[in-house]
Amino acid sequence: MSTTLITVEASPAAAVAPVRRRRAPRPARVALYAALVALALVYVVPLLWALSSSFKDRSDIFAFPPALWPDSATLGNYTTLLATQPFWSWMLMSTVIAVVSTAATVFFCSLAGFGFAKYEFRGKNLLFDVMFSSMAIPFAVIVVPLFILVAKLGLANPFFALVVPWVAPAFGIFMMRQYTEQSVPDEILDAARIDGCSEFRAFLTVVFPLLRPAVGALAVWSFLNSYNNLLWPLVIVAEPEFYTVPLGLQALFGAEGRQYDLVMAGSVLAAVPALIVFFVLRKQLVNGLTAGAVKG
Amino acid sequence: MTTAVAATKLRSDQHRWAPYAFISPFFLLFATFMLVPVGAGIYLSLTDWAGLGEPDFIGLANYSRLLGDASFGAALGNTAFYTLFAIAVVLPVSLLIAVGLDARGLKLRDFFRLVYFMPVVLAPIIIALIFGLIFDGQYGLLNAVLEALFGFGGVSWLTDPMWARVVVVVLVLWRWTGYLTIFFLAGLQAIPRELHEAAELDGAGVVRRFFSVTLPQLRPVTAFVAVTMLVNTAQIFEEPFLLTQGGPGEATLSVSMFVYRAGFQRQELGYAAAAGVVMFVIVFVLGRIGTRAFGVGRTR
Repeated sequence: MSTTLITVEASPAAAVAPVRRRRAPRPARVALYAALVALALVYVVPLLWALSSSFKDRSDIFAFPPALWPDSATLGNYTTLLATQPFWSWMLMSTVIAVVSTAATVFFCSLAGFGFAKYEFRGKNLLFDVMFSSMAIPFAVIVVPLFILVAKLGLANPFFALVVPWVAPAFGIFMMRQYTEQSVPDEILDAARIDGCSEFRAFLTVVFPLLRPAVGALAVWSFLNSYNNLLWPLVIVAEPEFYTVPLGLQALFGAEGRQYDLVMAGSVLAAVPALIVFFVLRKQLVNGLTAGAVKG
Repeated sequence: MTTAVAATKLRSDQHRWAPYAFISPFFLLFATFMLVPVGAGIYLSLTDWAGLGEPDFIGLANYSRLLGDASFGAALGNTAFYTLFAIAVVLPVSLLIAVGLDARGLKLRDFFRLVYFMPVVLAPIIIALIFGLIFDGQYGLLNAVLEALFGFGGVSWLTDPMWARVVVVVLVLWRWTGYLTIFFLAGLQAIPRELHEAAELDGAGVVRRFFSVTLPQLRPVTAFVAVTMLVNTAQIFEEPFLLTQGGPGEATLSVSMFVYRAGFQRQELGYAAAAGVVMFVIVFVLGRIGTRAFGVGRTR
């Protein structure tokens, strides 16, 4: 590869008229756009279908063929859902847990990522390997003993069990290490030390502000992980008053036949905040998530 | 003078222990909520326990029972199928889409990328519910469309063993493709343009350039994405749990569902732990081989 590179640089023709990748010919471009638009529909249609179904009453949902948009769109599903189910309590529970988890996750992952990125210390490679490999431990392996452990220690309280074990995820640390390595210059850190900052203070006042783009990505990632999780809450939360949104929807769906009408209304209400966060922070999320993986 | 020396000494001492302090929260939580459970799970897998009283030590009996348990065999087989599909189909499809999005002069690139990436935001349970409504055999959207277009709309998507498995992997495809695409696209955009130009000057065509320039350059991304998919799909739970309840029969049962049922519906905690240990060995070994082979996570 490098030899070909050198020939290019040495070639005077290349210097005079740099080779440009040509745009694809017209029919190929049309085909590409057609394919991309078709694919976009594959993603948009199910969401629109959920939205449309949420405005149908039950008989319309169970009609065949189903109407693309209900003749008599109704907010009935929403009012019934909110009147018969503690939906806002589910939302509150999910949101509180996700926000607290996210704040803690951002702090612990940035700190550990900084530790791995900017220090040389004995055992660093081994510890990093252990941390990285822990991503490959499937949850199904620990779910039973973890449940027993948490129950035995009397920590089955959802505010503890749904938050504390998950606030230092390996993926987040990995992401923050990659970002810190790339975008925090050593000089700035040394300057802070010369000014007499302690290591932790230097992290808080000098390093952390530089991590903002990655922090945005990590925060969204962490929020969604917590907000959307089903299996662990299903195991740990017994009392309906502590149900999160996924738990509530799951219980509602399984309760009496398949209550698609109510469940679709609930899904739409639950998805909207997540979609808003996503749209606001989309650039940061994409850039932050991929920053680490590209460099390897 | 002495204070300056002392201060330097303090800083260098701090410098020595600070990184340990910074990474310690992870290791504390890792030890308490992962290592201890893994160890406890191994012990538990050698016992018979319904959660009350003392666990009965029964040696390897749970494992020999697993060997003969057709449900566990089905769960392993299905999970292997989902995972294989994720690696062999979702990965290449995502790369193909990324290559399409990387086309020069493409308009609306960010828009397309965003749309494909959207499922990441949705709870898997919501995705499963929406597709439950679409794939429903009696009043689903898909059958209605098939009826209108081709005149047959009676496919039992969720109650036919073969179709039910197809539906689960379609959900895997739908949920993960866009997520993987953003990784591949970032990887493609990071390839220096000169490499392509040089190869083109050397007379390499589009296909040749893809295989000898693009693919080798994408190795770190591919490795990262492959391991992520392996671990994620091996744990698949919500899709079969909600869409098909593992059925019909056990056609879509996954290992996570098997563990959940054994442990939390039948209270066979030792047996569930044994199934978890088997899965751990498989996923961890495969994951380690993957990370080792590709050198994921190392900085050069």
